[in-house]
Amino acid sequence: MKKKVFIALLILVFCFSGGGMYIARSIEEVITNLENVITLHQVEFLRKDLQNKIKVVQTDLLLKDSPHALHIDPFIAHVEEMETASHVCSNCHHNEEVSQRLNHFQQQIDSYVKKLSRVYTIRANKERLTEEKNAAFSMGEETLAEVEKIVITSSEKISKRITLARNSIAETEHLLFFLITAGPLLLILIAYFFLRHFTNSVDALLDATRKIQQGDLRYRVQEELPDEFQVLSKAFNDMASSLKDQCQRMQQTERLAVVGELAAGLAHEVKNPLAGIKVSIEVLASELTLEQEDREVFLRIINEIYRIETLLKSLLSYARPPEPETAPLDLHELLDLTIKSSSYSLINPANTAKMTKEIEIVKDFSPELPPITADRGLIQQVFLNLMLNAIDAIPAKGTITITTQKESNHTVQISITDTGKGMNPENLSKIFNPFFTTKPKGTGLGLAICKRLIELHNGSIHVSSTPGEGTTFYITLPEKQQIQGITQ
Amino acid sequence: MPGKSYQNSIILFALCLFFLFVTGCGEQQDSKTSNVSGKTHPEQLKIGLITEHDIFSQKKRYEPLAAYLSRKIEANIELSILSRYGNVIDNFVSNGLDAAFFGSFTGALAIRKLAVQPLARPEYLDGTSTYYGMIFVRKDSGIHNAADMRGKRFAFVDKATTAGWLLPMHYFKENGIEDYQTYFSENYFTGTHEDAIYDVLNGKADIGAAKNTVFSRVAQTDSKVEEQLQILATSPEVPANALAVRKDLGESLKLKLKNALLQMDQDVEGRQVLHEFGAKRFIPTTENDYAPVFDYANKIGLDLATYDYNNE
Repeated sequence: MKKKVFIALLILVFCFSGGGMYIARSIEEVITNLENVITLHQVEFLRKDLQNKIKVVQTDLLLKDSPHALHIDPFIAHVEEMETASHVCSNCHHNEEVSQRLNHFQQQIDSYVKKLSRVYTIRANKERLTEEKNAAFSMGEETLAEVEKIVITSSEKISKRITLARNSIAETEHLLFFLITAGPLLLILIAYFFLRHFTNSVDALLDATRKIQQGDLRYRVQEELPDEFQVLSKAFNDMASSLKDQCQRMQQTERLAVVGELAAGLAHEVKNPLAGIKVSIEVLASELTLEQEDREVFLRIINEIYRIETLLKSLLSYARPPEPETAPLDLHELLDLTIKSSSYSLINPANTAKMTKEIEIVKDFSPELPPITADRGLIQQVFLNLMLNAIDAIPAKGTITITTQKESNHTVQISITDTGKGMNPENLSKIFNPFFTTKPKGTGLGLAICKRLIELHNGSIHVSSTPGEGTTFYITLPEKQQIQGITQ
Repeated sequence: MPGKSYQNSIILFALCLFFLFVTGCGEQQDSKTSNVSGKTHPEQLKIGLITEHDIFSQKKRYEPLAAYLSRKIEANIELSILSRYGNVIDNFVSNGLDAAFFGSFTGALAIRKLAVQPLARPEYLDGTSTYYGMIFVRKDSGIHNAADMRGKRFAFVDKATTAGWLLPMHYFKENGIEDYQTYFSENYFTGTHEDAIYDVLNGKADIGAAKNTVFSRVAQTDSKVEEQLQILATSPEVPANALAVRKDLGESLKLKLKNALLQMDQDVEGRQVLHEFGAKRFIPTTENDYAPVFDYANKIGLDLATYDYNNE
């Protein structure tokens, strides 16, 4: 679209500047042609003027020695005017052929002038005088004939040139009329094309917006829109898809929240009677003389009650997490402690000297990591949970890398990477959902609680995983906590 | 009535005063200077030219000089070309000429007949300020002396020229030609030195007479002149064409004119005009410079005071 607008603008600019330049050039051409026509008329006039002046001199010559003869001064003036006219004629031309012809003509004029002078100065017998006068007159006639020849020749040329100039003026006039008529039409067409192009696309997007507004989240822009409008329609469709997903997620979250609240209430109500049951069973198991088999039954009952209690605690932690009690916290120290605690889970119960898995823990701690403000217990719970998950994810041998780094926006990032089995994208998208688990005996609340606790610290947690290669959890926490407008 | 008579006397007296005033003013003015409403107009000066060359070339040759002198003496100079040498004497009076560039013979005639005063004449680029006349024929004409001239055609310039008339007359006298009218089959006056040269060169005449300065000038542009013409006789040297003014021209104007001419070679513009004119400078000229002309005329037996310079 940008390109088209740019091209359209270029076309407009080209039309205006090109049209303007053409009109200016045409006007200049017309003026030049008119000037040429005027000059040609002037040339014609000059030649006819010269012709007339020669005729005047010839008349003076004929009248010499007659009662009507002029005094010598007017005659000299007439000859000088004739010479001036002939020089003007010569000065006009630059064409070599014409110049040569005019030079020859000028020599003829000079000869004629000398003969004229001779007629006026010579004193001789009648025959010689007549001979000189006739010679001068003949030369005058020859000169006149030459001028007439030039006049005729040049008149023809001038007529042709005038016709050409007029034709050129007429052509320019037609072209100007065409430009004046076609130019605005072209501009209107371009404007109409662009408006239509633009409004069609905008209308399609407006329709789609209205549909979404009316709740039809499944509606998508189906038309192939031109240029950037296609990008916009794709973005619009993506937005609609995202809206639909968000809605579904919100609905699910709401449902989960309700379920969580319900479960938490239920857990709270169940917890006390369960405690009573557990105590009673323990008393019974310790006081009664029971067969081994019966005792094992009791023990299994008690174990199951523990499991129920753990589940109930998790439910309560998720649904009603405790208010964080923040204090300055050295994350590296906490992570060291967590690593130590989690390593206990690797001890083989049968042989405490041996580990159940061969896991190398790599610490990539940034020395520039500042202390943060957080609830020590809650953050340790998160770290421990992630560490235990990482250990669980590694089948027998692997590496867990813990990295800390200071981020630019007053946050810190802690990442825990394992080289375990990883997760597929489907599981990855659900991993923070409550009650989602891939473990046979998991509650599915661990990571949901982790997310809840990090969010309680105004942080974020996300995960990336590649099946068969491993998983990385990224936790971002602010350096300072903002609780009810107080920065801690 | 005595009162009325008194009034008439006053009016008559006033008219007399006015008349005297007007007449007095007229006498004080130079003849060519007007003074209207207290504003002085440039003086007018009319200078005559004789036809050494054709009428138009001669006028063109003198126009830059006239323009220069007009600026220098702050006067409007008008050139008046004369179709005949003798015209300059006639026209000096009839056309109201103030000055003229006289040839040596017309100058001598004007001194005798009109008492004109010579002021200056050019010194040519070769350093000469004189010229002489020449009688010439075509080399292939077979004419070598006066005897060969019998029955031929003679082209004079004018009866008022030294080179074109006095020289031939002197030559005829020396060679025993008593009546040139019958000695030659035809004689005529070309009016210009240039035409006399060309007429002989082109075979229109067999013998011609002209001045050496024009002969040289024509020869510079036409090599045939030197190649095909032969000089048979020459005259003594006489002063080059000088500017002479009428005797009653205002002294201040006369002086300004003379100074302007004599000082031309001292400024760039003047030198440029002189160069175009074909001269190095103007030199002072007096009546005494015309002594060779008077002597030459005396030898021929001409009385310049009564000489009829009109061509037949």
